[in-house]
Amino acid sequence: MNEPTTTLQSPAREVPVFSISRVWTLAISTLTQLVRMKTFYFLFAFAVLLLAVGNFNFASSPAQALSTVKKVSFGAMDLFAWLFAIVATALLIPRDIEDRTLYTILSKPVRRIEYLLGKLCGVLIVIGISLSVMFVVCAGMIQWKELGYIADEIGDTTPEQLTEDTRQAILLIQKNGFHPELAIAALASFMKAAVVASVTILLSTFASSSLFTIIVSVLVFLVGHAHTMATNFWLAETDNSIVTQTLLKLFKIIIPNFQIFSFSEGIVQGAAVAPSAIWQMGGLTGAYLVVFMLLSLLTFVDKEF
Amino acid sequence: MKALFQKSPRWVLVVLGLAAFGLLRSPFEDRMRVQLVESNLLLPPPAQDAVQQMSQSALMGTLGGLRTLVSSYLVLEAFGHFSNKEWEDLRRSYAVITSLEPRDENHWRDVVWHLGINATANMQIDESIPEFERKRRFNEYALLAVELAEQGIEQNPESTIIRKQLAEVYREKLRDFCAAARVYEELVDLPGSPQYSDRFVGYFLAKCPGREREAYDHLRKLYYEGEYNHKASLISDIKDLEKKFDILPALRIPDPYPDLPGGAQR
Repeated sequence: MNEPTTTLQSPAREVPVFSISRVWTLAISTLTQLVRMKTFYFLFAFAVLLLAVGNFNFASSPAQALSTVKKVSFGAMDLFAWLFAIVATALLIPRDIEDRTLYTILSKPVRRIEYLLGKLCGVLIVIGISLSVMFVVCAGMIQWKELGYIADEIGDTTPEQLTEDTRQAILLIQKNGFHPELAIAALASFMKAAVVASVTILLSTFASSSLFTIIVSVLVFLVGHAHTMATNFWLAETDNSIVTQTLLKLFKIIIPNFQIFSFSEGIVQGAAVAPSAIWQMGGLTGAYLVVFMLLSLLTFVDKEF
Repeated sequence: MKALFQKSPRWVLVVLGLAAFGLLRSPFEDRMRVQLVESNLLLPPPAQDAVQQMSQSALMGTLGGLRTLVSSYLVLEAFGHFSNKEWEDLRRSYAVITSLEPRDENHWRDVVWHLGINATANMQIDESIPEFERKRRFNEYALLAVELAEQGIEQNPESTIIRKQLAEVYREKLRDFCAAARVYEELVDLPGSPQYSDRFVGYFLAKCPGREREAYDHLRKLYYEGEYNHKASLISDIKDLEKKFDILPALRIPDPYPDLPGGAQR
């Protein structure tokens, strides 16, 4: 009797090693997941904050009032962006394990790097949308207030009758008002949030709970802001020995420097930003994303669930 | 190699990866930080004494990259101190605010205004404080305002609003007209300076002992610059100085005293 011969069937079609469309699908499903978690509700909190600050009447001049509205709203945008990056990223992988979605995804021809990239892209899309909405609301508010203050300065006088001092006051209001460069400040907040999200993804591949990931990510973020301050302090207050210097070097190379991503503060205060600086910061953000994704993959690639 | 990779604990590889990336990015980040600080895009770390004065939450906020939010909150707090005439608390709040945002000229102008104008005015009228103490505090606040204005100008060399406020303190509170003239002189060449700065240089030089002749020449020059400078105060000051220096009638300006009916001579 002849033994039955078993032949392996080749798959219906070739499965590519890496597919952008799979990453995109995962990113969109992450976006949907985050929208269902009602994450965009924080935009209401932002709008309320903006309205409250816009109506405080403590500033000594219209220019200062505008400067305060700008600083508070862009500060809040920055805060919402990094906080959201940490919380959303820390919740995603544990949520997928809990819902057992992860098993379904990974049992399909989906690479683990694609899964991680999809998750990161989903979070970044939500942050991008949120920052864009907040920027538009904020720009509208600043422009509305700016026009109101200028109208108050002009009063009933015609442009020809304006005194030099009124013109100076209007110029000062315009200097503190809306400028298209403020969009770069929003971009800076996005870059910072992207780096924070990539650090959080790395931590979440190690961590056993979301809470741990959130706490450690916030700590890394805070410490990452104190790079220069802590280095100066230690060098001034200690014996500056070889041990201190080695510890400082280790601290500097392991913890990301988040302080340099805070350049939105300068833009909001009216400093001019060179295109080369944006490109360099964009490149650094990209480098952080690539390296932290690869390191995340290192721990996630053969993780058993 | 593959075996070594598989046998090594993953966290060790991750730490090595982080260290390698850190070594690569550190020099770039240091350069970038200097570049961003120089172009005013990044704020230098707050001064050591400001850090010591900050509350724990303010310090956390500062560490968390929320300097602008923390300083906006402290401005609100300082406004509360101003409303309650708590000048010492206001001074402390602004010490932190100006350390957090040294390049925001509005903060410097405000603290100079609060201490140099409001606190001194309060000392002039607050009868709940003994007179000798009011005088002492009046001088203390006015001089402190001058000191803060100078610090602010050091941080914002092109600022017109800090100088305007400083000149007001010299003019209205310290009655130091020579210093006021000096500040207005500095203002003249700055971009966005008020049109009146040049005239004010003359007005206050005229009140500065020993510099009246300089004031006369300056005001006369402005008078002949154009009709737009023929202001009542300018003409009046020139007339006073003409009288003081006994200028020949042929060399005097043609305008009469503007502040007397029919332009009659004083």
